[in-house]
Amino acid sequence: MKQHSALTQGIILCHCCKKPAPIQDDKTTCPRCGTRLHRRKPHSIAYTWALLLASMIMLLPANLLPIMTFRSLGQGDPATIMQGVMQLLDHGLLGIAFVVLAASIIIPILKIVGLIILLLTVQLGWTTNMRQKMLMYHFVEWIGRWSMLDIFVVAILAAIVQLGNLASVTGNTGATAFAAAVIFTMLAANCFDTRLIWDKHLEQLEVFP
Amino acid sequence: MTDKEIVSLQPGKYWVCPECDLLLNRRAIPDRHEAHCPRCQSLLISSKHHSIEWTLALAVAGLILFFPANIFPILTLQTLGLSQSETIFTSVMALYNSQLFMVSALVLMSAIIVPFMKLILLAYLSTCLLMHKRAPLLAWSMRSYQQLDSWGMLEIYMLGILVSIVKLIDVADVTPGIGLYSLTGLIIMTLLTSTQLDSHRFWRRIEQLEKK
Repeated sequence: MKQHSALTQGIILCHCCKKPAPIQDDKTTCPRCGTRLHRRKPHSIAYTWALLLASMIMLLPANLLPIMTFRSLGQGDPATIMQGVMQLLDHGLLGIAFVVLAASIIIPILKIVGLIILLLTVQLGWTTNMRQKMLMYHFVEWIGRWSMLDIFVVAILAAIVQLGNLASVTGNTGATAFAAAVIFTMLAANCFDTRLIWDKHLEQLEVFP
Repeated sequence: MTDKEIVSLQPGKYWVCPECDLLLNRRAIPDRHEAHCPRCQSLLISSKHHSIEWTLALAVAGLILFFPANIFPILTLQTLGLSQSETIFTSVMALYNSQLFMVSALVLMSAIIVPFMKLILLAYLSTCLLMHKRAPLLAWSMRSYQQLDSWGMLEIYMLGILVSIVKLIDVADVTPGIGLYSLTGLIIMTLLTSTQLDSHRFWRRIEQLEKK
């Protein structure tokens, strides 16, 4: 059985409700949901690169600036994400230290590396391990939100530890940078069009069946 | 599919994989079955039994739980005779008071407004679709729901609560409140709605109603 891509057969798909439309309707609105139709997500590669660069830039202040200050009896300094993880380790809370480390440092870096690999795949026309790349994309898309964990921890601690001079928690500017980095990577994953990875696949099948 | 068949493509006779753009022959998918793309393995269709009824029930249950989850304290901290409670909204205010305006707006959106909007939109949609009633803004509601979907982050807030409890465990006594139990219920309802929602069936129904 010969495989065909919908685009080469003159069919485009609505981005939102996935209703197929003839290619002549390109750039009109979808009759079912009212979203504008495109062959592929417009400027997918450029937007994804731009948002990725923005998130890489924001990751620097996010990790270098303190995200919260825990003051107890007038003592306590602002702590960065990494210092927070070290404090958890000092208290012997290995599991939680790992969860926080994974959510706030490992996942953002993996997400950025993963998306760069996908972008290079499209731009350099790599056609190997496509299924694995697709899995990687779904993983990046799904796991992105979990990086917000540290922001919520700061919010909860700042709300509950308000005991005047005895103990208090306040958020610091690093949180803004970190939240921006997370949001930018989520938007970058949304802007990427996975169909671009597969567009080269069928052409290659014709050369090497 | 042969080339000859392609020429006479009829709408409704084929599927297109939204993830890799592969053209496929349409097949009927029985209830409680899933279809995956043979090329990229993405989920194409997941047909649910009584999807609309389930969605309505879960969305209403979620809306009922939403209010106690936001009104009653989630955690209470007690130490040396002092006590301090926390709800989702006070955590938003705490960030606001730390001069982190953008972050507090983000938490307000992702932990209160978006989860609430998602439930309201689903309750509205599934009521109208169940009653076969043509109502305004049906397509708009479904579109908004799909766009808001990944921005509701209650389950991550929950993980944040667990991390906070562990962080405070040797500092002070932390006791869970009614809010925490309601929030757990609310998260379970939201997660179940996203598994029970059959977006293809919803869109097809919306299309039928709009044509009437």
